[in-house]
Amino acid sequence: MTAGEVVERIRKNIGVPWRDTTYRDTYKSGGPETPVTGIATTMFNSFDAIQRAVAAGLNMILPHETTFWNDRDDVAVVTAEALYREKRAYLAAHNVVIFRMHDHVHDRRPDFTYVGAARELGLDPARETPPGSHRFTISETTLEALAAEVQRRLNIRALRVVGDAKARVSRIQLGVGYATPAANTPDVDVVISGEQQEVDGALDAPEYIADAAALGIPRGWIMLGHNVSEEPGMLEMARWIKSLVPEVPVQFIKSGEPFWAPT
Amino acid sequence: MPSLSRREFVRLGTGVVAAPLVLDATPARAAALSAQAIIDRIRQNAGVEWNPNTVDTFKAGDPSIAVTGIVTTSLATIDVLRRASQTGANLIITSGPTFYSRTDSPTPAGRRGAPPPPLDPVFTAKQQFIAERRLVVWRFGDHWRARTPDPFAEGIGDALGWARYRVNGDPRRITIPALTMDALARTVKARLNVRGGIRVIGRRDARVQKVALLPGTHPIQTTLAVLPEVDVIIAGEIREWESSEYARDLVHTGRNKGLILVGRSLSEESGMNLCAGWLKTIVSDVPVRWLPAGDPYWRPSA
Repeated sequence: MTAGEVVERIRKNIGVPWRDTTYRDTYKSGGPETPVTGIATTMFNSFDAIQRAVAAGLNMILPHETTFWNDRDDVAVVTAEALYREKRAYLAAHNVVIFRMHDHVHDRRPDFTYVGAARELGLDPARETPPGSHRFTISETTLEALAAEVQRRLNIRALRVVGDAKARVSRIQLGVGYATPAANTPDVDVVISGEQQEVDGALDAPEYIADAAALGIPRGWIMLGHNVSEEPGMLEMARWIKSLVPEVPVQFIKSGEPFWAPT
Repeated sequence: MPSLSRREFVRLGTGVVAAPLVLDATPARAAALSAQAIIDRIRQNAGVEWNPNTVDTFKAGDPSIAVTGIVTTSLATIDVLRRASQTGANLIITSGPTFYSRTDSPTPAGRRGAPPPPLDPVFTAKQQFIAERRLVVWRFGDHWRARTPDPFAEGIGDALGWARYRVNGDPRRITIPALTMDALARTVKARLNVRGGIRVIGRRDARVQKVALLPGTHPIQTTLAVLPEVDVIIAGEIREWESSEYARDLVHTGRNKGLILVGRSLSEESGMNLCAGWLKTIVSDVPVRWLPAGDPYWRPSA
């Protein structure tokens, strides 16, 4: 089994047109000829996650995000960096092949990351209205209670919330990663997502939600962090890859929340 | 009442003291200063070349209004505007946007070619609040930031109590007495009045001494250039698929490094305190004060 054969099976089965020009979903280490001993899916391709994949005998990694800390994985940005050379040397020494799975994950229906996030948050797909909208209605609760529930379910250390803690909420708009829905989306009480630029974006949520709170308009914004929001989707993807490639072991490797918060 | 001070004038309100203004013979107080006149004075004294392509423009209100007091802030939230108005100020100078975007359009921006989006109650209420209180909002981000030394780094360093630890007078580089990452994070949280916005990468027991202050936002290229030179970066925000992953890999490979993020607005808050101090040196006609917007974030107690 070669990496190229694995990618070809993914391409044939993903169910959406393949993006031949994306700079994201390409080889970051190794190539199509590299023999595959096993496949790991991971969210962030941290050095730690790579080492755990190798220890588990998996030399093909399908990460959702970057390997060399910039979106294009442009090595010119990092060549001067000692850590880049170390990571590169480790990948070569262990014959690791990396193929990023980002754009096609989001193109696919359903998108693995939304399925995974909804599952971990306990949002019932049957209550997604309309289907595919990533919008869920839950029993009315307070923003504070909802945030505490989210924190408990996902076991997040550095969850961040904006809004009146006592605001009564029931309509959730789910986002993932950096694809955070606008904080003023109509008929939505709370946006739950991964990450968004705080200031000077298209609609700066912290300021908007703080103003809504000052006006007594019940709205909330719950930021899980980029890793936490999309990581469950990589378990979904591992299950799917397993069904496509029964010849080698396939495993989800958790990169985990990078942040902690002081007491 | 020619000796009536400007402060008393503010307390009494404009209607009551129209006469004393006329009687006041002091040239500097001869006419009420308009918001435009104050901004002109800022431009003349900023010490940086004025870039015509800038966000530093009036965002709301009438620039010809007579200014009764000035408030600086990093985020002109409704709460800050309300507190400013209560103290008698009517010119708000903010380093951040007012209407939730870089373009600062006072109604929700639509997509090109699409029909205009419906009115938004939060936008509308903020506009009304500013109009009713006759406030003027002006942004001062690009040019305040362009000053040397970096006033946002200077401000956050002052707030952290580290002015005396600056390296070669550079406000972005600090060498503090060694302490653990955990103790440093708790110090930052306490001194910057962080509620829930603080996030840290690094071993809690790592001993750190060399600190880079990068308030605001910065790209991976800056992290790559700065983090190797210091033990820890204290910043506003970064991209989580870039800078924080680089920091995580550094820590994983045993390097004594860390990254502390406090949120962009909060990281720039103290720089606008410094701005109030600077404004006082060029505007003595009306009171100037800093009103922090505070940390917008919280997290549930575990």
